[in-house]
Amino acid sequence: MSAAPLLRVEGLVRHFPLGGGLFARKAGKVHALNGIGFSLAAGRTLALVGESGCGKTTAARAVVGLTRPDAGSVHLDGRDLGTLRGADLKTARRRMQMVFQDPFGSLNPRLTVGTIIAEPLVIHRIGTRDARRARVAEVMTRVGLDPRDADRYPHEFSGGQRQRIAIARALAPAPDLIIADEPLSALDVSTQSQVLNLMKDLQRDHGLAFLFITHDLAVVDWFADDVAVMYLGHIVERAAVAALFDAPRHPYTRALMAAVPVPGRGKRRIGATADGEVPSPIAPPSGCPFHPRCPRAVDACRTTMPQAAEITPAHVVACHNPAPVPATAAQARP
Amino acid sequence: MNELSRPAAPDSLTRLLARRFVDHRLAVGSLAVLVVMATLAALAPMIQALLGVDANAVDLGVRLAGPSLAHPLGTDELGRDLLLRLLNGGRVSLTVGIAAALVSAVIGTAIGLAAGYYGGTLDALLMRLADGVIALPLLPLLIVLAAVDLTKLGIAADVARSADMSLYRMVAIIALVSWTTVARLVRGAALSVREREFVLAAAAAGAGPLRIMGVHILPNVASPIIVATTLSVGHVILLESVLSFLGLGIQPPIASWGNMLTGAQELIWSAPHLVFWPGALIFATVIAFNFLGDGLQDALDPRAITR
Amino acid sequence: MMRYVVQRVGESAIVIVLMSFLIYSLIGLMPGDPIDLMINSDPRLTPEDAARLRAVYGLDRPLMERYLHWAGAAITGDFGNSRLHVRPVLDVMGGFLLNTVKLMGLSFLLSVAIAIPAGVVAALRRNSRLDHAINLLCFAGISVPVFWLALMLIIVFSVLVPILPASGTGSVSGGGGFIDAVRHLVLPVATLTIFSIGSYTRFMRAAMIEVLRQDYIRTARAKGAGPGRVVWVHALRNALIPTVTIVALSFGSLFSGALITETMFAYPGMGKLIYDSIMGNDYNMALVTLLFATVVTLAANLLADLAYAWLDPRISYDTGRGARP
Repeated sequence: MSAAPLLRVEGLVRHFPLGGGLFARKAGKVHALNGIGFSLAAGRTLALVGESGCGKTTAARAVVGLTRPDAGSVHLDGRDLGTLRGADLKTARRRMQMVFQDPFGSLNPRLTVGTIIAEPLVIHRIGTRDARRARVAEVMTRVGLDPRDADRYPHEFSGGQRQRIAIARALAPAPDLIIADEPLSALDVSTQSQVLNLMKDLQRDHGLAFLFITHDLAVVDWFADDVAVMYLGHIVERAAVAALFDAPRHPYTRALMAAVPVPGRGKRRIGATADGEVPSPIAPPSGCPFHPRCPRAVDACRTTMPQAAEITPAHVVACHNPAPVPATAAQARP
Repeated sequence: MNELSRPAAPDSLTRLLARRFVDHRLAVGSLAVLVVMATLAALAPMIQALLGVDANAVDLGVRLAGPSLAHPLGTDELGRDLLLRLLNGGRVSLTVGIAAALVSAVIGTAIGLAAGYYGGTLDALLMRLADGVIALPLLPLLIVLAAVDLTKLGIAADVARSADMSLYRMVAIIALVSWTTVARLVRGAALSVREREFVLAAAAAGAGPLRIMGVHILPNVASPIIVATTLSVGHVILLESVLSFLGLGIQPPIASWGNMLTGAQELIWSAPHLVFWPGALIFATVIAFNFLGDGLQDALDPRAITR
Repeated sequence: MMRYVVQRVGESAIVIVLMSFLIYSLIGLMPGDPIDLMINSDPRLTPEDAARLRAVYGLDRPLMERYLHWAGAAITGDFGNSRLHVRPVLDVMGGFLLNTVKLMGLSFLLSVAIAIPAGVVAALRRNSRLDHAINLLCFAGISVPVFWLALMLIIVFSVLVPILPASGTGSVSGGGGFIDAVRHLVLPVATLTIFSIGSYTRFMRAAMIEVLRQDYIRTARAKGAGPGRVVWVHALRNALIPTVTIVALSFGSLFSGALITETMFAYPGMGKLIYDSIMGNDYNMALVTLLFATVVTLAANLLADLAYAWLDPRISYDTGRGARP
């Protein structure tokens, strides 16, 4: 990664208090993010991978400002969003748009598709009414929708079409970065590939960067440039896609890959599976959060949180006892 | 690529709702009755001009007359035409009823949206306030509020005692005590809508709280507001009529169905028909609004429990 | 549970204090003041006398000071004298209160005795002709203006067919005895019953329909419990929980109905006392009766909440009152 990062996230922490209400005592807190950091260059795609509950959605929301982090910072083009106010903050917001998981929930059922797509333009006071209408038609065509359907309501569209509407909305204010939170998981498989192709085309044509949140490793291999693997609010491994898939070093990454067949790479048994339940984020284990399930755990894992270290260039792992580079790594590619 | 195909013909949600509403025959009948009543009341000044009779013209020669060609429903204790007074009274009662219901709906919506959207301490405070208002003995409180001497609040005497002032005062004090139903409904709905992804999507796109509440939450809580407001019109008309009847509401010479019955106890022997008509019209109007609200509820929100 | 009780009682106490101040301020905003009334009744009083009297009675002091002075006396049980009755207000209230308890109690029992079976039957035969008829009558009861209903009953039963007295309690004129007292209660009780029965029946019907949908009712049926037993033992008991709560919560509305009814029938109860004292500039009386009505209404609401918490084991209040739905 030689380009200056478009998005840089540092030490992001977010804990959710449990319980609540006016008079109730706080019963505890969910450790959703425990100090994660990553960066993303313009025009590239970073996939944030992990099981449900690992904090990846919270990370996405913290980046776009839906969730205020307890600590840490988000930088866009080197400017800390936490220090921006007023017009500067609005401009920064315009440059990052989000696509949500559920295309049935993320579109207001009472608004027409045209109104929905135009909303970011209205919020950011971009263009006249006519200009906005033209822009809506333009992005609708761009995502493969008929602009004549702008006066229809979301419930008249299929799931795949709705996700296209959501993408058109994100695209409308000409952002530099789209944060996509599991945009495919609510779609059936054939629709998934169409939407994925669309996003790839958009990236190529508009130089968009994607922060792509997913639990689906197969998609990552095809779509992303870099991957960050999350476990219980920590990023445990971060590398370029090829490096990570060829030589996963963190035992958790290996367990994930063992559980999921990756097309073109086959289902590999690396002898690394994770047994047992994911620990509760309310009471995370001491030391490395993965140690109760880890086949490679050593004594240090139980007491000390491993620090992220660049063990080979551009390959960062947080592990006391990372797996060796498999000798057969090269052979794994057919 | 079938993805590019346009969506199928829209399933007519509006038509479905309309059909469900039409199924509620009492509601449809009530709507018809209310439309007729509102039209007649609105046209009262014109009817009056057409007949060349002044509703407020006192004619002691025809006091308490029975029905006749000149006075289809007879006359009152001052010889005024009962039918015209009923129409004029209807105009006032319906206007006050609808206005007060709308004002309380606006207050309730604003409070409910704020409580539901912001949550936390503001929510707790506003809802305790609503609980407090609900827990008060309504009618005694309204009687005191209606009896308050506005000049003691620094309002000029001629304004405070003018007949029109009694209209505004009725709307204001009734709205002051009846915003709670809408506030609670809107708060509940806003709490659930607030967590929906399209609200997050708007926030992620940079929308501020006012835009989120107005554009995204409000349209999605419209059904309960419409139902509750319709039901509250009937309730408001009852409150207005009883206050006016007690001499604390709409002040003569403005006629309202309630104040037409003021002093009716003295008339029960001599002219029971004078007692019958105004109350019968209140009754009919209120029951019609209640049926209408019930029908709207069935159509818009069939799962809601009738409370 | 204990924590919840303490918290709710505490909240209600705060509301009562706030309301006493609000009512005190509102009464101060009513037309005229005690000195005006003295001046009107005694033309020899000069404006200087009036100013002196105001100072003597402390009426020239700021509102907060006057309120605290009143509240201080009220705590010791001294609520002042009634202007209309020329006796301490608490002495006057007793008899009126008893009459209201009679009126409200009788019509409450009567409406519950009718509303429960009517609601159950309507729920069991949902959408039958009977259900529709009951529903229609309920709407009529909810929608009728109480004062007009009273007038109509008087016209029918005291004017057209003069079989019942139109006003009073009978005990005042004396000599009538028990039968006469009952005869005087018939029309007021009927009015108030018609006023409240509609909503009670609808609550009962809705609660019963909800309960009949539950799985345990179907289980009881499947296990061979007879239809009568299912309805009257299993379902009714559970349907009564929400109904009791809502009925208790509607106490304020019943009291409003009683106020109108008492005024219409010249029945000497609390409602009429409130109305007469407000209309007659009897400030001390109005203040105390209004405050009393507030306290009783709040107490009814409190009891309803507590009863609900106690009757429904699924609800735990120990974690405090969450702001969440």
